[in-house]
Amino acid sequence: MIALFHSKMLNMKNKIILFAIYATILAGCSADLLEKQPNDRYTEDTYWTSEKTAMAALSGCYNILRADGTFGGDATPLWEETATPNAYNYDNSMGYNLIALGTHTAMNSSIINNRYPDCYRGIGRCNTLLARIDAVPMNESLKERAKAEAKFLRALYYHLLQSYYGDVPLITEEPDLEKHGRLPRTDRALVVQQILTDLEDAAAVLPEKYPAADRGRATKGAALALKARVLLFEASPLVNPDNNVAKWEAAAAAAKAVIDMAGSAGYGLFEDYRALFLPANENSKECIFDVQFKAPEQGSSFDLINRQYNTNAPLKDLINAYEMKDGLPYTTSPMYDPAEPYKDRDPRMYQTIVYPGDTYMGAVTTPTAPFKITGYGVKKYSIYDKEPNTKILNGGQSEINYMVIRYADVLLMYAEAQNEVAGPDASVYNAINAVRARAGMPDIPVGKTKDEMREIIRHERRIEFAMEGFYYTDIRRWKIAEQVMNGVIYDSQDQPIVTRSFDPARDYWWPIPQGERDLNPELTQNLNY
Amino acid sequence: MLRFLKNIACCWLLAAIPAITQAQQKISGKVTGSSDNQPVAGASVTIKGTNRGTRTDNNGVFTIDAANGTTIVISAVGYTTIERVVGTDDFSNIELQVAESDLNEVVVVGYGTKKKASLTGALSVLDMKERENRPITNASQALHGVAGLWVNQAGGKPGQDVAAIKIRGIGTLNNSNPLVLVDGIEYNMNEINPATIESITVLKDAAAAIYGSRAANGVILVTTKGGQKGRMKVDYSFSHGIQQVTYLPDVVWDPIQYMQMKVQALKNEGKTAVDYSEAQIEEYRNGMLTDPYTYPNINWFDLVTKNGYLQQHNLRFSGGTDKITFSMALGFMDQDGILIANNHARRYQMDLNLTAQVSNRLKVGGSIKGNYREYTENAHGTSYFFNRFHRVLPIFTPYLADGRYGNVVFPTPGRNAVENLMMLLKEGSNYHVAQRALLTVFGEYKLPFNITYHAKLGVDKIDGVARQFVPYLTTYNPKTEVPYYYNNNPYSYNYDNNDLNISFYHTLNWQKDLGLHNLSAMVGSSYTDFDNSQFDARIYGYFDNTLTDLNAGSRDMAVTGSRTEDVLISYFSRLGYEYDGKYLLDVTFRYDGSARFARGHQWGFFPAVSAGWRIDKEGFFDNVKNVDLLKLRASWGKMGNQAVPLYSYLNAVNLGLDYSFNNVISAGAAVTDYSDPLISWETTTSYNAGVDAELWNGKLGASVDVFKRRTTDILRPVQIPSQVGDLNGPDRNVGTVDNTGFELVLSHRNRIGELTYEFSGQVTYVKNKVVDLNGERIISSRRITQEGYPIDSYYLLEAIGIYQDQDEIDNSATVSNNVRPGYLRYKDQNKDGKINGDDRIITGSSIPDFMFGFSLNFGYKGISLNTFWQGVQGVDIYPTANLAFPFNNGAGVTKEWITDSWTPERRNAPLPILTTATGATENFQQSTFWLQDASYLRLKNIQLKYDLPTKWVEKFAKSMSVFVNGANLFTISKFKKFDPEKDIKNDNLYEYPSLKTYSFGLNVNF
Repeated sequence: MIALFHSKMLNMKNKIILFAIYATILAGCSADLLEKQPNDRYTEDTYWTSEKTAMAALSGCYNILRADGTFGGDATPLWEETATPNAYNYDNSMGYNLIALGTHTAMNSSIINNRYPDCYRGIGRCNTLLARIDAVPMNESLKERAKAEAKFLRALYYHLLQSYYGDVPLITEEPDLEKHGRLPRTDRALVVQQILTDLEDAAAVLPEKYPAADRGRATKGAALALKARVLLFEASPLVNPDNNVAKWEAAAAAAKAVIDMAGSAGYGLFEDYRALFLPANENSKECIFDVQFKAPEQGSSFDLINRQYNTNAPLKDLINAYEMKDGLPYTTSPMYDPAEPYKDRDPRMYQTIVYPGDTYMGAVTTPTAPFKITGYGVKKYSIYDKEPNTKILNGGQSEINYMVIRYADVLLMYAEAQNEVAGPDASVYNAINAVRARAGMPDIPVGKTKDEMREIIRHERRIEFAMEGFYYTDIRRWKIAEQVMNGVIYDSQDQPIVTRSFDPARDYWWPIPQGERDLNPELTQNLNY
Repeated sequence: MLRFLKNIACCWLLAAIPAITQAQQKISGKVTGSSDNQPVAGASVTIKGTNRGTRTDNNGVFTIDAANGTTIVISAVGYTTIERVVGTDDFSNIELQVAESDLNEVVVVGYGTKKKASLTGALSVLDMKERENRPITNASQALHGVAGLWVNQAGGKPGQDVAAIKIRGIGTLNNSNPLVLVDGIEYNMNEINPATIESITVLKDAAAAIYGSRAANGVILVTTKGGQKGRMKVDYSFSHGIQQVTYLPDVVWDPIQYMQMKVQALKNEGKTAVDYSEAQIEEYRNGMLTDPYTYPNINWFDLVTKNGYLQQHNLRFSGGTDKITFSMALGFMDQDGILIANNHARRYQMDLNLTAQVSNRLKVGGSIKGNYREYTENAHGTSYFFNRFHRVLPIFTPYLADGRYGNVVFPTPGRNAVENLMMLLKEGSNYHVAQRALLTVFGEYKLPFNITYHAKLGVDKIDGVARQFVPYLTTYNPKTEVPYYYNNNPYSYNYDNNDLNISFYHTLNWQKDLGLHNLSAMVGSSYTDFDNSQFDARIYGYFDNTLTDLNAGSRDMAVTGSRTEDVLISYFSRLGYEYDGKYLLDVTFRYDGSARFARGHQWGFFPAVSAGWRIDKEGFFDNVKNVDLLKLRASWGKMGNQAVPLYSYLNAVNLGLDYSFNNVISAGAAVTDYSDPLISWETTTSYNAGVDAELWNGKLGASVDVFKRRTTDILRPVQIPSQVGDLNGPDRNVGTVDNTGFELVLSHRNRIGELTYEFSGQVTYVKNKVVDLNGERIISSRRITQEGYPIDSYYLLEAIGIYQDQDEIDNSATVSNNVRPGYLRYKDQNKDGKINGDDRIITGSSIPDFMFGFSLNFGYKGISLNTFWQGVQGVDIYPTANLAFPFNNGAGVTKEWITDSWTPERRNAPLPILTTATGATENFQQSTFWLQDASYLRLKNIQLKYDLPTKWVEKFAKSMSVFVNGANLFTISKFKKFDPEKDIKNDNLYEYPSLKTYSFGLNVNF
């Protein structure tokens, strides 16, 4: 081309034309022309430069709390209850019904397939923040607090992983495919150790309370309460087959640490059990750590599921578990009247469940309407109650926050652990009675044995936390799932619905999702999957 | 005196008469072909300027009455037309010269043209005249049946019925679409009015290499009609067609039967609680007789579909003088789809083309291609609608007696939001408009020494707008009239996209003949800049459904938007050499720089060589008669594919991962994708060898090509284990894929007396194989890509029958503890006693083995009958979800489950026991049982056309023809649930159906 241009064969006029054209082209051909940066996102090199961006990265770590596999999606925590004798999920939302039936595999259940990657996404973001934030020029104490929040979240995500899947790869560095892609599963005990270290580090730095604008961030109480939950799991029969009492002691001490700081942190039992779960009372004194939902952009479908889809339909077995107002089970209490089986029960039943003959949304309910599946519906975590309510939900989304840990849980965790350590002493009674008193139920009579108290506490957990999604982990760690999840389930008319089964050799732990094992062949599978 | 005058008058008259009836002689003659001295039968012998004429017989002899001095015109297929004058020329042996016009035909190739006889690459040329009058709405549909192409048009949705095109298999795991250039500028061929296309050239092998980094998937060159020197021409064409759905699933519409089957299905899978009680079914049975509103008995598919129509008008003015040629075409298309509301499309097009020879040396020209296209769809969008379309139940009520929308009398578990299809179709609005204008300007200057400079600038401006309003939607229970608020939160959504693409290229061409040697050279460079921007806005808070503008909303505004820029710089050159028209050589080079890769990895070099040998021109071939062309050719070339998403090499931190504190949104950000800064082009190396032959003056044509395309450094998003922060895997240059195969094209035409017939057919075979994938496997749900197998093969459990009794179940590998007689049985490949992911096998194919098409055309006097058949063979489809499976997630069921499902009485049934798909997941796992063969042979088009005789039309037009046409009328395929030409990768039936069209119309040339 150039040669041609210089050739004497061309006359002046042609040369000028050619030159003009080539000049424009060549001038434009600088390498810069091919350098294009995106205008709608940062690159990792340009990102970690200010307090604003660092705090946004921290919000990105919190963002995973609302994922399908953790506590968000449509109603994942509500559906977790359907893998227990408390509720039935006819629709198999998120694959929980397969787990309830015992027919889940490494491939066919959504929640099993989603919890694993969602948790690692959260862990990856926390690890990245912890690795990069030191370089950011910002207020030092804010930086330390942000790191502590990230450690709390990382611990929470690892706790979800280890308490469901068992051994999982332990990674605490920024995601690196070369280093981490082929890591095998780490021993669960080591994962737990990391969790406890993270929580202790976090608790040392996190404040007890936040100003209103920061409500929802992890607090010192949250870190200590989560630590108690982790230790309680460690002490439970599923992973503590020899019943090592030291583990129960550690759990009791951790729970007590939260009870001791309740005064300064402002923790207590909210007076109204029903109102506790309404949007007006979000972030109340009972809430230790919750997942923040905001309608419509960041809402959940709790109201829709409870009121209409009824995919977490309560079962007769749960109703039967509610004591009568006098503190006795319906089988022995003189207050029970078979003609009016729902009368005079534990007040919490009326505040959690809608039963046939109840008034709901301004109409009297029957065994088939509006709740057709079992005859029962759920009120907890929903704005709908007796009155007719045509309130238009913002975008169909619910805004109620989901409490991951609340103060009643801390009290019952303490009671459970302390009972195993020293039998039912005064502190145990105080703890459980406080919960019962708030509910309007009589105190537990004195003189119970350790074994009796154990049953009482387990029963109290089932009732207090009914339909909140905690019972599944409880029946697994107590190793009673093989009894309570094997057999027929019944609706309000005592009609059988389906027969469930639970294989104790396999079903106490979830399988590593097949997709993960396809990508990383170093991952072994849990027994019998 | 009077007698004298009468005599003069008589003489005068007498003298005049001979002028009219001069002595007519009987002229006879014989016509032979000059090359072989054989008689030419069926040659047309006409008197010039009249319609009188005759034809030569089998001996080449004709007889005609003509006076001295009249000119006789003799013409025949494959020969040059000649004239002879009666009384002056010899008629006893009229020799016709073989017309080489076919071989001298000029074909558009990359950055230039070549004579067809000199081509050394594998090209398919499509003359659009062959596709005339077909009810095609965009140009991609015209490519059905072109050798080497797999054209898949999934669905006939008005305004969005573009076909997907793959040339010679699928060479990559990424964007495998070919590059399309219109008159040299990159453009979307579907925005061109098909009536303005002159021809389409498809570059399949190394011939495409001159387009370098975007040529790996083949290149399609579209040439639009320009003006021609000569008289002014006005052409008008019109067609109107009725469109109907080809296939829809055969659903059980009888409500009683549906309810009974659902109950049976639930019982079969072990449920004790069923959806409809006996009492309810009885109530419905009685209610159907008296109250059709509460207890409807209708076919919902029939209710919401209708016949559509497609009407097209095209008017073209063209002409030219020695200096200036022009062409102006106007087009209008109006299409109403097969849904009863809200699926209408209109298109207005204008094409203006002008070239002017300004001086001896300078030629300039310009064109404007303008396209305005608008279409509507239902408020929520087509895929949302078709998902619900396949979920409708026979017991759903369309309307209450007073006209309000109904839902359903018996609540069905799993169906809480009852989707009333009438409401979803009719309410709200969703309007799209796209306007696009391509303006081009070119200049050509003849420099001395046979050098020509050509420069072209193209500016492509795209503007698209969408306006959507999703309204308040309420349905009422037909019995209790309780309202259900299907949508209580109306919103308005507006979308705008705005692109400006500028292309510029210029070339210098040089040609020289030195004796028997012919040399040519071309150098050039090009610069392309794609500037795309888009934004959208959404707002909620409307009081009612009357106002739909964004301004009428009141809360929860959401806005997004972004702008991207992409640049491509290239230098290229071509060298050609011909010796005596016998030995042909063509070499091209291309050097491309792309903005999609990091500095240091942006440039790529793509060379190509092709050669040809005209055996028919060799001395030793002189004695071989009847062979007009016999050419051997071979080519080799490297081409690239840079179609990876922009900015893939940067580790980006994404925004929008928000949380909230104290009910206030807090912006969140995180890295979500792992990226590899080292990525660069994919390279395809293409080998091709072919033979072209033409015999008997064009009566028989054949072409065979054997090819291999090896794509290396395939950019693929590697899925990485979730433990690495659950990041989306990076795109990496890993992987090699081969596409090998052959193409065979045959054509034959002949005339027997007045009857002409023509057959042309093509078959392409492509074998796709992944050669190297770094030892890894890409598994995504039911497909796998692995070394040794084709891309996207299926990865499924092998189903080996149906369990007949409990013993069989107990004695075979465990699927789950809920398996009953009538369930599917799978093969335990690894014999470990469990059926799980390790028992999957690689089977089936998402890419067809054979693609074929053929046309049979007949002509008799003015009537012509053209048929075109097309099909593929060796491709499998895996339809799942609603209606492909029974009672999937609360949806309905199709009729074969009534008669073909296993029962204890019907043990040899082909289908397992009737259950719901969501309840008995054991039977609906990824398995070979549900893999279906989607091969088909289809009568794609049949047309009967009549060219009106000249004498009927000569008063107002030069020529006119009328036609009736049928498209997609008849299909042979094993797959019956839906049209087999659906999107293979889409594993459900939620698509706008494919359509068959009955149309008629006319063409007039003034």
